[in-house]
Amino acid sequence: MVYIFDGTKLGFLTAFLLAYEDGNALLTSHAVQLPLGESFISVTTDSDKAKRVERRLLTFDTDALHALDRLLRSGMENHEQIAFRYFKKLATEKRPIDKNFADPDVFAAVECMKKVGHEIHKMHGFVRFMELENGALYAPISPDNDICDLLLPHFRARLPEYPFVIHDVTRKKAAVYDGKNAFVAPLGTADVLISADEEGWQKLWKNYYKAVNIPSRERLKQMRGYMPVRYWKFLPEKQETPNSFE
Amino acid sequence: MITEERLKILTESAKYDVSCSSSGSARKNEGGMGNGYVAGCCHSFTPDGRCISLLKILLSNDCIYNCKYCPNRLDADVPRATATPEEICELTIDFYKRNYIEGLFLSSAVCKNPDYTMERLLLTVKKLRLEYNFHGYIHLKGIPKADPLLMKEAGRYADRMSYNIELPSEKSLKLLAPQKSKESLLLPMKTLAMQTAQFREEKKKGLIKGHFLPAGQTTQMIIGASPEADGQILRLTQALYQKNGLRRVYYSSYVPIVHDSLLPDTAVGQLREHRLYQADWLLRFYGFSVEELLSENENLATEFDPKCAWALKNMQLFPVEINRAPLEMLLRVPGIGSKNAYKIMEARKYTKLSFEDLVKMRIALKRARHFITCNGKFFGEKNEYSVRGLLAAAETGENAKQLDLFSILSSPQNAMIALSGQL
Ligand code: SF4
Repeated sequence: MVYIFDGTKLGFLTAFLLAYEDGNALLTSHAVQLPLGESFISVTTDSDKAKRVERRLLTFDTDALHALDRLLRSGMENHEQIAFRYFKKLATEKRPIDKNFADPDVFAAVECMKKVGHEIHKMHGFVRFMELENGALYAPISPDNDICDLLLPHFRARLPEYPFVIHDVTRKKAAVYDGKNAFVAPLGTADVLISADEEGWQKLWKNYYKAVNIPSRERLKQMRGYMPVRYWKFLPEKQETPNSFE
Repeated sequence: MITEERLKILTESAKYDVSCSSSGSARKNEGGMGNGYVAGCCHSFTPDGRCISLLKILLSNDCIYNCKYCPNRLDADVPRATATPEEICELTIDFYKRNYIEGLFLSSAVCKNPDYTMERLLLTVKKLRLEYNFHGYIHLKGIPKADPLLMKEAGRYADRMSYNIELPSEKSLKLLAPQKSKESLLLPMKTLAMQTAQFREEKKKGLIKGHFLPAGQTTQMIIGASPEADGQILRLTQALYQKNGLRRVYYSSYVPIVHDSLLPDTAVGQLREHRLYQADWLLRFYGFSVEELLSENENLATEFDPKCAWALKNMQLFPVEINRAPLEMLLRVPGIGSKNAYKIMEARKYTKLSFEDLVKMRIALKRARHFITCNGKFFGEKNEYSVRGLLAAAETGENAKQLDLFSILSSPQNAMIALSGQL
C-alpha cells in the first residue's frame, strides 16, 4: 500500500501509525507512479494521533525529532520512505539505533541526514549576498534540501546589524532577518534593486578569484568535487564576464 | 575601493602561501560584523582545487630582502604595489558582508625595516577590529626581527599568527635566505608561545580580558629547494608541535621559477608533499611518533602511504580483530581513517561485525583486509610479498591520474613558483 501524506511532520507521524503494521508500506508526499496493482491511501493528518506517536518515539530516543526533521528536509526522492524504515526500526528496537551503522536502514537514514547537515555547512560558505539600495542583503539560493531557515542562526549571529533575505528560489520561500526578528515567508519572485557599489565589489571579487588561482596547478575535478556545478548559478565568481579580456 | 591592478599584484604575490584555514577561533560578535567559526569554512574553490576561505593578500610586495627563491626579492624586476590599511579594511568588510570570505590573511614583504612593516600590519589589524568593528577571522603573518612588543600587541587582535620557517635547516637558510636565520624564525614562535601562556594565566586570574591568538600559530616549509630528507623535516615538525605548540605545519613543494645556481632546476613532485602531509596527520591524529615512521636520513616511501609502510615493517602486530581491537590499534590499520575507526567502535556495540557488515558500512577494505580479522576470519593475503604488491597496486591506481598531473607540473614551460612569496 502507498501512503500519501502532506509532507509535514504531523502528516508523516499519522501515516507512520497507519502504515506501521503494513509490511509493504511506501510512504511519500510526492505524486508517484503507482506500481502495477498497487493501491494508495491519502492520509489525513490527525495531530492528536501524531503527537501520541511523537511522544512514544521520544521515549525510545530523545533525538528522534531532530532526526525526523532532518530526514523530512532531505531532497532525496525516497527520503520519506527512508525515514519510515528508520522509525519503524526504532519502534521495534525501543532504544537508540542511530549508531548501528551495520544495519542498512540505519545506514541509509544516517547518510541521508548527513547530506542535509553537509549542505547546511556548505551553504554557510556558498551563500552570496548582494547589497540592495536600502542597505539590506539579498541572497538567492537553490539547495538540494529544504534548509533555508536553518541558515538563519549562522548569518544572524555574524551580521546582526544587517537585515537580510535568503531566498530559496526553487521552493519559493525565504528566510528573513529584519534586523530584529527572524522568520520564514513564502516568496515567489523578488524584484531587487542593487546598491550603486554592488557591481564594483562583485567585479573586484571576480578579479580576486582569478588572481589567487595557480593556473599551472589546474585540478578541475577536485574543484568540482568540493564545489559541485549545481551551486555555481549564484556565485558571481563562476559567472563569465562577456566583455572581459582576461 | 582599491584598484583592480593593485589587488591583482598584491594577491598574486600572496597566493603561494598554502595556508588558508579559518578554523580554531570561536570569537563572538560584539556588535559590528563577523564572528569565528571553529570548524572553519570554505567559501569558494579555485580551478587549482584550493579552497578560498580568507582574503589572502599582501600589504606590500616591495621588499628590502633578497631571498633567492622569492619573486618579490629586492633584485627582481616585478611590478610593485602597496595598499593602505584603509583599503585592506574596506576590502575585508565588503567581501565579508557578501559572504565571499571568512576573514583576512594579511602578510607583507619587508618594507624599509622589520619594525616599520610590522607596525603597518598591526595598524591595519587594529583598525579592522577597533574602527570597523570586525570580529571575523584574522590570520596575520609575523615579520621576523620585529620588536616583540609589536608581536604581543598583534596577538591581542589576530586569531592566528604564522612565521614561516621556509627552509628546514640553518645551513640552507644561510645559503638561500641570507638575511634570515633559524634563530630569527624560531625565536618569535617561542616568544609568541610564551606570550600566549602568560595571557592565559592572567586571564584565568581575571586580570585581563579578550583574546590572544585563539587559533594559535602555524608555519610553512618549502620542500625540495634544499637537500634535507623527510626524516629530518618531520623531526622538525614534531618538535614544533610538541615544544612550540604549533597548530599546523604546512609543506609547499618547490618548483623553480627564479633561476639561480644555488637552486635546483627541477621541481619536486607533489607526491612528496602529499606523503609529508599524510605523515603529518599520523603525528597529529593517529598517535604516531616520527621515530616509529622513519629514521633521520630516510625519505618517506613513494609506493605506499606512510601508515602502510609502517604496518609492513610491523607485520607481527597484525592482523587485529575488528571486534576487539582498542581504538589506538584500529587507527593504525592501513586504510582505516579516524571516522571509520569511530564507526566501527560504535557499530560493534550492537552486533559482532562481519566482513559483510564492514562492506555495508562502506569501509574501504582494499588495504585494511590484509591487516584485520572479523570474528576470527581473515580475508586478506597471507604472503607478505603479495600484500606489498597489492598495496602498491592499490596506490598506483589512485595516484595514476595525479602522477600524470605532476609530470605536467614539473615541465619547465609550465613551471611557476610554488613558494611562498613572502615572509
Ligand atoms: S621571502 Fe619575504 S623577505 Fe624574502 S625576499 Fe621574499 S618577500 Fe622579501
